[in-house]
Amino acid sequence: MPVEQHEDPFEDRLGDALRQAGGTFEADRVALVAGGEVRGRKFLRRRRAVVAGGVAGVALVGVGGTLLVPWDGGGGASVAADPTPAPSVSASASAAPAEPISGNQLLRTLKGLLPDGKVSGEEALGTGSEHNPYARLVYDDGEGGGAVSVGLGRVEPGSDTARELITCPDERLVPHDSCSTTRLPDGSMLQLFQGYEYPDRRVDTKRWLADLVTPEGHHITVTEWNAEAEKDSPITRPEPPLSPDELRGIVTDAAWRTAADALPNPSDTGSEAPPAADGTRVGETLARLMPRGLEVVADGGQASEYAYVVVDDGKGETLVQVNVQPDIISSDPMLDTSRQLFGSGAEVLPDGTKLTTQQGPGDDKATGLIMWTVDTMRTDGLRVVVSAFNSGSQVTAPTRDTPALTLAQLRDIALSEEWEQLR
Amino acid sequence: MRHVRADGYPEFAAARAAHLYRSACLLTGGDTHLAEDLVQETLGRLYVKWGRVSRAENPAGYAQTVLTRTFLAHRRRRWSSERATDTFPDVPDRRGADADTSLRLTLVQALAQLPAKDRAVIVLRYWEDRSVQETADVMNASSAAVRTRCVRALARLRELLGEDLAVYVAP
Repeated sequence: MPVEQHEDPFEDRLGDALRQAGGTFEADRVALVAGGEVRGRKFLRRRRAVVAGGVAGVALVGVGGTLLVPWDGGGGASVAADPTPAPSVSASASAAPAEPISGNQLLRTLKGLLPDGKVSGEEALGTGSEHNPYARLVYDDGEGGGAVSVGLGRVEPGSDTARELITCPDERLVPHDSCSTTRLPDGSMLQLFQGYEYPDRRVDTKRWLADLVTPEGHHITVTEWNAEAEKDSPITRPEPPLSPDELRGIVTDAAWRTAADALPNPSDTGSEAPPAADGTRVGETLARLMPRGLEVVADGGQASEYAYVVVDDGKGETLVQVNVQPDIISSDPMLDTSRQLFGSGAEVLPDGTKLTTQQGPGDDKATGLIMWTVDTMRTDGLRVVVSAFNSGSQVTAPTRDTPALTLAQLRDIALSEEWEQLR
Repeated sequence: MRHVRADGYPEFAAARAAHLYRSACLLTGGDTHLAEDLVQETLGRLYVKWGRVSRAENPAGYAQTVLTRTFLAHRRRRWSSERATDTFPDVPDRRGADADTSLRLTLVQALAQLPAKDRAVIVLRYWEDRSVQETADVMNASSAAVRTRCVRALARLRELLGEDLAVYVAP
């Protein structure tokens, strides 16, 4: 799309020559795309979804940030934040501090910790790779095979990431049958979770896991399913093969910590996200800003940045969620989203705040779920995104035709000066 | 929440990677290794904020902007002050056609002799067909600064390549 007439014929000739020369560079597209994805996940881990890709991402942050996805074995990419810091994958990454542990060693350890039974489908990745290590197999105690996997990672002790890993997800965001967090005598935090592969339970594949974060920042997750693969595989038994107690026994085994020692310490390889608005205060502010006549029937959120309330006007529940992201611009000039992404369609208020609104489907499954969103960015980079659904949750069927709040009310909430106090 | 990404990102990345790589090769003055690095960095950044990018008016143009800024940021990190390279990067020959290869070598070597920001202006203006104002926006510069760079870079390229570029362009 030539947009300006060139005054000089040399300019046109240069354009032709550039196109011809540029066209001769042949890309290895597969490698580029794969490399991009690895980095994308690394960014997500690092900034813990400070900008998880806009409204859809923000909506998922509430879910994904508390979900426990210690590694991604490749193949399907994860949209939501994968909260485990991983070794840096850049070429300049420092060498791992301890002897690498091979995938076979990890498998041997796992098999040694399982009760008697049959094992098949073994697969593993050692600590020497740029991806997080894991061991995976199908375990059959005689009652049917179930996939069992162990993933290892490192987190910064005491960081928000570490805390969120062992915080039980909100029932409204991630429906589950049971979840508990306990502190072990050595100071490690252990979470036992019994839920489903798909939060909306469109398939009843169960996913149980034990998540351990040690005071030194080892992060170990043992996950199991009542199917031989985590997805798209028939259910083989009513429940996964290992009891929560057995999961606990496996995840706390010292061998995993030794293996995780071979992973680079996250404080050496990347920084945590910039200080974020405290989640509790975000939630209190959101509740305070609800218009009169709406009763807050539930609330919750994450350790930082994200909170929600469920309100009822007597005609059905509405989930209202907010994401408060302080100053994402100055923390990374590459994320200068204001100009590009609040593009020409954005409304600019007298104080320079940019604002866009969206009214669209609340999910991609045509369930009738509706999400209305007001996305704002102050001139100093503070971003406040408020969304409302026509349901009390993001994962359940609509309870009403439209959200209980009007777009104008959402706008007032997003533009409230109170958010500016949270930084 | 692990699931196969169905939001169009993988398709977008696959569709744009080749073009981004070519842009990057020109931006880097033929440093294909750095070009690969820049494209991966760019795709990684898009991955993070795909939800918004996908709704932008022109995601492909946005990707190009991210690439250019990533390149300029890389230059800032690598060199405290901008200077032209005086050595020619190795340009691997992946295509046999002699005419193309020689054109590429000559043109890319000429580009490599420009300061990084001048090169970015040339690539944006004449490879991407961006207007002066758009180029200025991408580079966070004034349009006057872009014009100045552009005039200077064109003069230098004219000097290096000759007025009549026809010999470099296949009929």
